[in-house]
Parts: sequence; structure tokens; C-alpha cells
Amino acid sequence: MKKREHITRQRRLEALTGYAFVTPQLIGFILLVLIPLINVFIYSFHNKNMLYGTNLYVGLSNYEKLFTGDKLFWKTLGNTFRFSILLVPLNLVLSFLLALYLGERLFGSRYIRTVIFLPVVTSGVAWAIVWKYLLQSGTAGPINYFLSKVGITGPNWLTDKNWAMISVVINRVLKNLGTNVLIFLGAVMNMPQDVIEAARLDGANEWAVIRRIKLPLLMPTVLMVTIVTMIGSMRVFDTIRLMTDGGPEGSTMVLVYYIYHQAFKMFNTGYASAIAVILFIIVLLLTILQWTLRKKVSHYEDA
Amino acid sequence: MKKFLALVLALIMMFALGSVAFADDAVDMKIAVWTSNEGQLELLNSFVQEFAEKKGITINATFESIAYAEFTTKLLLELQGSDAPDVYWVTETSAPAFIASGNLAVLNDAMAEYDPADFAEGAMSLWKKGDDVYAIPFSTSPFIILYNADLFAQAGVKTPEEYIAEGSWTWETFREVCKQIKDATGVWGFQTVDGAGYTTSVLQNLLPIIRTYGGDAWDADGNVMIDNEGAIEAVQLFHDMVYVDQSVVPPGDESSFYTGAAAMTVSQISRVSNLDEVTWKWGMCTLPGNNPVIGQAAIGAFSRSKNGDLAAELAAYMTNKECVARIAGIWPPARQSVLESEEFLTSNSRITAEQMKDAVAASIASGRVLPAHELYPQISVEAQIAYDKLWNADADVAAVMHEVGDIYRTYVG
Repeated sequence: MKKREHITRQRRLEALTGYAFVTPQLIGFILLVLIPLINVFIYSFHNKNMLYGTNLYVGLSNYEKLFTGDKLFWKTLGNTFRFSILLVPLNLVLSFLLALYLGERLFGSRYIRTVIFLPVVTSGVAWAIVWKYLLQSGTAGPINYFLSKVGITGPNWLTDKNWAMISVVINRVLKNLGTNVLIFLGAVMNMPQDVIEAARLDGANEWAVIRRIKLPLLMPTVLMVTIVTMIGSMRVFDTIRLMTDGGPEGSTMVLVYYIYHQAFKMFNTGYASAIAVILFIIVLLLTILQWTLRKKVSHYEDA
Repeated sequence: MKKFLALVLALIMMFALGSVAFADDAVDMKIAVWTSNEGQLELLNSFVQEFAEKKGITINATFESIAYAEFTTKLLLELQGSDAPDVYWVTETSAPAFIASGNLAVLNDAMAEYDPADFAEGAMSLWKKGDDVYAIPFSTSPFIILYNADLFAQAGVKTPEEYIAEGSWTWETFREVCKQIKDATGVWGFQTVDGAGYTTSVLQNLLPIIRTYGGDAWDADGNVMIDNEGAIEAVQLFHDMVYVDQSVVPPGDESSFYTGAAAMTVSQISRVSNLDEVTWKWGMCTLPGNNPVIGQAAIGAFSRSKNGDLAAELAAYMTNKECVARIAGIWPPARQSVLESEEFLTSNSRITAEQMKDAVAASIASGRVLPAHELYPQISVEAQIAYDKLWNADADVAAVMHEVGDIYRTYVG
């Protein structure tokens, strides 16, 4: 009896220590994430305006305006998906192949690893500003200058509406590739080598090994990275703010940047909150979808 | 016992400190500005101290420098909070919205000693509603042309002053000059204002040409004039300079006048200090057609300031004739008496008296501010998407300007 009491006492103490450890983080989360998040939902039903200080309950009218009267919102929504659809596969394929290559520990792989990871630790602002100079139009930009030396007339990377989005996507991929390579590399290093050996002994060529053995083994990681990259791509802001300002012709105006425009340039805090709620729902749906897929696709995951 | 003594001692010290604070009944004033230049801030602070002396009080002034690009946003956030500025600068484009929102105190009583006739015509129009004055302009800075005299000489082109003397400094001449310089030297003829003439400063860039050709953004009665015949002709002229002559630094190119990569640009006199380090000779003149945009900035007092009338009085004091005369070299005033004074002409050591008279004062006399509207931020974001369509070689200028006009018409008039 006494022993049991001792155990519960100790458990309680352990639990208390645990809570003590999570409290600072929890307080931060509640104050800086949860409460603002709830507020966003509340604001989205108000015509809150920062300039006029108005804050009137207007029911669903913000959402009504979004879906029926705001052409820019639909354009923005389209741009956001276009951005993700271009960025996610490019990022995944590149980082996956790079991880496989680096995993083989071939010549120069240590240097390549450093080079790939360097942009990740570079300040996003500095990165974007430097790239804006590199991507100048005509032959003023170093990139177009080098292209002109090999007989290619480079486009107006950032001021041509057909190129601006592509430039931003490539830029983001280069900036964030390192993180995904690192995650994949971890998974590649942990692959059971015996299975791969067995496949090779059975006469599988390199492509078959990648497709039939390595890819299925890495599926849980692939899915996890897809979720993270996809959600990350929905949040792109600094690159757009510094490189294109949403232009030209609104071709790089994505949801997060439109929220910023509405909230901090037009001061329509209520309306901006409604857009933020839509973004929240989109990210939530994507996450649910991908987690459902995760259960179906990855058979090798430890339960 | 020791503990008790220590406690008593600590309490005594606290009271002593507290009473010092009580004895010193200084007024705390927070002033939000967008300059971070130390010399300029010192000058502004000296106005505050003189005002305090005149009132026989002590003012602890805190100047808060907020970057221009974020000024209105950050200011508004602060005005909602408990630590709001008492006195603040207001940009011209946000003037109607600030007045309508009730964030500005009425300054009529505070400026009782003002001579209204001293203000340049129309200088106050943006800052008044009915008979009430909500802010007082301290800067009425026209956009002028800065040019690289060495490049003009190298290309064998007459200087703008010579064209002005001939009476032929028109936009057509300007176009010709840009092309000649580009062809002769390979250097761009013109860089738009801060290189932002295609994006955030599109109106500053185009309006001087548009106004010369009989257009405008919209007039006081709310008639949109951005897509009338003159306006379209004007925009076509600039478009041809960019895409036919290829004499203007094009969109997406960061070449700068200040580094010698363009022969002319449009700027304001507060920016002339950027030329301190250059090795080439530079000059200054009015814009062709002399319909420059004037950038205005005003000082206002927060309507819910803890210091109430004192804040309003300070805002008025900082824009009185004596103070304005002392900052005139940085921010040209709207006051006739100062503009006409000898002191004004020699107020900026980087600029000659002739330049001050022929370029700056002449531009103030003929220039106009940007159009203002309560929903300006909304209008400019929507219009920008349409303006962007101009910047292709095969753009249909008339169609784009009609699109811009339609956007303006949904808000104005």
C-alpha cells in the first residue's frame, strides 16, 4: 500500500517537472499563437478597420464579399496554388535526388552539402535583395549578362508577368532546398542496407533499386517533407515582398501577401482576417488529406 | 533586526527617488517622424525646447523615427495602443483618411497667431475640412530634375538651363536629349524617381507629363482625367522613351543616377546630400513643362493625446514662421514670406541661390500635390495591377489607361 502511494507521489512529481518544462512554451503558445488565432476568427465577422477604429459585427459579409465581389482574391488564390504546384515537386525531386547522391558519399559530396545548406542559414532578406540585383533585366543583371555571353537573351525575370512567378519559385527552391536534402539524407543513411544489397544481388539495376526499394523505404519521409514544404509554400512572404511586391499585374500576389495588403496597407483588419481564415482552412484540409494518404501509402512506417 | 533596518532604508530610498520624480513635473512628449538623420532630429528637438521655454515648462521629448515605407502602418498601430505619439508627421496621401478617422486634433485655436495669407495658395487645402485645420504642412518639396553635367557635355548636348532660357524645355526636348545622351555615351538618359517610377511611384513619374498634356489623375470635383486624350498622349510619350528610344532605365534594371549610370533623374532637395561623394559635376532644374508633383508632409497632434492642447500648440509652434525658416533648406516651406526671403535661397549649402530660386522656388509656385482620397491605399493597390500592363514593348497604352480610369471612377466622384 505504502509502496503504491510512493509511486503515485513520484509520478505526480514527474508530471509536475514535465509541466514545469512545457509551461514557458505553453504560455508563449497561448499568448502569441492561440489567442491571436481565436481573435482572427472573431475579427473575420467584424468590419474592423485599424484606421477608423471601427469594430462592428457584420456576420458573414466579409466572406460574402470575398467569394462574390473580390476578383483580386480569386486571382490571389490561383497564384497561391500555382506557386505551390510549381515549387513542391521541383523542391522534392531535386532534394530527393541530391540526398541519394550525397548518401553515396561520392567525390565532393561534403562540399556540395555545405553549398546546398548555406542558403538555408542565410538571412532571407539579404538573399532576396541580392537576387533582385542578380535578376535585373536587360544585361544589367549578372545572370542575363552571362546568358548574353553564350548567345541567350535573358528575360525580364522579375518584371515580366510570365516570368516573375517562375523566378520567385526557383529562388525559393534554391533558398530552402538544404533543409529537405538534410531530412532526406538522414532517411537515406538509415535505410537498411541489406535489402538494397539483396536487390542488387538479384540483378536489379540502379533505377530499379531506386524505384522499387529506396523510394518505398523513404515514403514516410517523402510524405512528411511534402506536407512541410506544401504548408511552407503557402506562407511565402519575404521573397514576394522584397522581389516583386506582388506584381507585375498581380501575378505574384499570393494569399499571405494579400492579407498583408488588406491589413497593413488598406487597414481592413476584419477583411484580412477573413482571408486568413480561408488560408487556415486550406492548410488544414491539405494536412488532413496528406495524413490520410500517409496511412494508405506508407506500409513501412513503424506504428 | 538587521533585515528590518535594511527594509526601512530601502523604503526611505524609494520615497526619496519618488519625490524627486514628483518634484520634476516635466511633460513627456512623443513625436513620430520618418527622418532618422541626427542633425535633423536635433533641429526639431531644439524647436520643442524653445516651445517649452516659452511656456515655462520642461518637456522630455522622445523622437521616434519610423521608416517612411512603414510610417502610416506603424503609426496607426501605435495610435491604438497606450503609448501613442502626441505629435506626428502625416504623409499627403494619408491626409484625407487621417482627418476622416478622427485621429487628428483640430488646430484652429493653437494656430491663432498664424497669418493664413502667408501660406502658398492651396497649400492648406489637403489639411483642412471645412474651416477646421487638422495638420500644418512643414514641407512642400517639389520634385525637380537632377542632371549629370559631365554626361551632357560628353554627348555635346545643351544644358537644361540653356533650353529653359530658350523656352524650349518641353517633354519633346527632354525625350530628344535622353536619346542623344544614350546614343552618344551609352549611358541611360533618365532614371525614374528613385527607380520606382514603374511601381510604387508611378504617379510621381507620370503625372508631370500627364498634367502638361492636359490630363490629371482626377480633379477637385471628382472627374477622372487619367485617360483623356492628353493623358494618353503623355503616357505614350514616356512609353516610347522606354521602349522605342530605349533611353530610360527600364523596369527591372537597378541602374542609378547617383552612381553615374543615368544622366538625369527626378528627385527632391532633401536627397541632394546623396551627391556629396560624386566626382562629376551635377546641376538642377525644373521639370520640362514645369508641372511638377509636390510632396507634402504636415505635422499634426493626436486627438486623444494625454497632453491635449499642449500637443496641438507644439504642432503649431513647430510650423511657425521662425521654425519653418530654419528647416527650409531641408524641407521647403509653404510660407510665402520664407520662400521669398534671401535666407531661403542660401539655406542649403549644397544648392546655389540661383538653383534654389530657378528650380526649387519656381517648382513650388507651379507644382501640385498628388491626388488625395480617403481610400487612396485601396485605389493605388488596384490601379497598380493595371499600370503594370504598361510596361511591355507592345502594350496598348490607351487601353491600359482606360482600365486605370475605370478603377479610379469606381472610387472617385
